[in-house]
Formats: sequence, structure tokens, C-alpha cells
Amino acid sequence: MEENEKKLSKVGIVSCSGEDLPEGSISRLATLEVLHHKKLFDTTTICLPLYIAGGEGDRMFAKNHPTITVDGCEKLCAKKATEKYSGKVAHSINVRDFIKSPDDVKNKSNLNEDKKRITSEVADAISIKVDEILKENNK
Amino acid sequence: MDNKKVIVIPCSGIGKPIGTVSREVAYEIMRLKPDTAETVCLAALTSGDEESIKKIKDNYVITLDGCAKHCAQKNTQAYGKEPDKNYMILKFAAQNPDKKPEGIIDIGKGGRELVKTISEKIVSDIDEIKQNEKK
Repeated sequence: MEENEKKLSKVGIVSCSGEDLPEGSISRLATLEVLHHKKLFDTTTICLPLYIAGGEGDRMFAKNHPTITVDGCEKLCAKKATEKYSGKVAHSINVRDFIKSPDDVKNKSNLNEDKKRITSEVADAISIKVDEILKENNK
Repeated sequence: MDNKKVIVIPCSGIGKPIGTVSREVAYEIMRLKPDTAETVCLAALTSGDEESIKKIKDNYVITLDGCAKHCAQKNTQAYGKEPDKNYMILKFAAQNPDKKPEGIIDIGKGGRELVKTISEKIVSDIDEIKQNEKK
């Protein structure tokens, strides 16, 4: 491989972390599941509030790497902020698309057990996209 | 009598266990003070969400930060609201070395004990804030 054809190594995952919504905890946990287990060597993340407030290093990363945003509601804070400061995202996920019944999500806390199924589905969806993006970018 | 709520804003930093602790402290405070404590999404506030900005301007605000970047405090100040109290969660962790959070996803027994200790302290400060408004 030529020096200037280095493989793209990481995808940035930007999670909304919405504190006021159970879906925010799901987006955060699903993102962490991908970062720490499913795609440990292929992904990295940035703190969204820090990024929005002006973390230059983080904004540069999102400019130079493909990014997947994970949002918990229709406000799409992660997607909108990433596109505002760093350009178009490679893929966007809204946790609400995975929720079949409001009863599935009641508790906002991270320590609650009842959101594992949805979290796992969201984490799987992120992982699939990470693979697709890396494959596409490294053709 | 003033019926202001207390809006607890944690940093939720995704890169460190202390970010999870700050988030869990906010939830524990809301559990302990269900009629008084609420939260807003920090990223929504930072993005200029009008509903969130109104909520912090109309109520008391407590910010919980996990690192020296003080995202919760600074982003609250950026919308013209000086937090009534700001807590550095790392400081509590340093004062309670026996209550150590284990991981970011699961803070473990030590982390949960730290959450309880911090929450109890902040709840007593909230009681003081609410007591002062009656005077």
C-alpha cells in the first residue's frame, strides 16, 4: 500500500446522551457497548456537549473521519451539531426507531435493566454501519 | 411561596466512569426529590434548545461536572444563567477513595456508593436552597 493510501482506521460515534430521556441513556449505553466491546479497535467517540461548546480537536476528528450519530429524540442534537460543525455524517440513528412500545422505556437511569434489548439492537445497528463504512472507505 | 424547581445538569461525559457517576447522581437526586428536582439534556441546552434555556432561566440550577472542562457549568453560563451551585464530581471521588467507580458502563458497587454519598450531600444543599427561598 502506498504511503498516501493509508487505511481509514476509525469511525467516530457521537451519542446524544440526553439526560432527560430514557432514550438518551439507551443511546449512551449502545454507543459504549460498541466502543468497548463490539468495535473496540474501529471506533472512537467525543463528548457531545464539549464538542458543541467548541472542542477543536473533536471537531477536527469529525471533519476528517466518517461519523455515526446516535440520537434519542427528534431534536437530533448529535446529528445537527455534527453536521453544523464538521460536515455531513456518514449515518444517523434515532433510538426511537427501535422502540415498539412506550412501556419499553420508562426509567432514565443507566443502572436499570429493562432497556437491554433495545440497547443491544441499537448497538448491533451501529456495528453493522461501522463495518459498512470502513469497507466502503477502504476499497 | 416560590415554586421553582431545581434543575440538575450533569455532564454525562462519555469517556470516563466519573461521567457516568455525574449522570447517576442527577438521577438519584431526582429519585430523592421527585417534586423538586428535574433535569435537561445538556447537549440540547448547548445546542440552543429554547425549551431547555427557558427551563434553566426560570428555575434554580445545579451543575455536576466530571472534569476540568466544566461543560455543564460553562454551557449553563453561556445562556446567561449562573448555576446556584456547581459541583466537581472528581473532588468527591478524591475525598472518598474507598468508593471507587469501576467502569463507564457499570460503575460497580463502589461507584454506586459514591453516587449515594454525593447525592445525599447535594440533596441537603437543595433543602437549604428551598429553605432560603421561604425566608
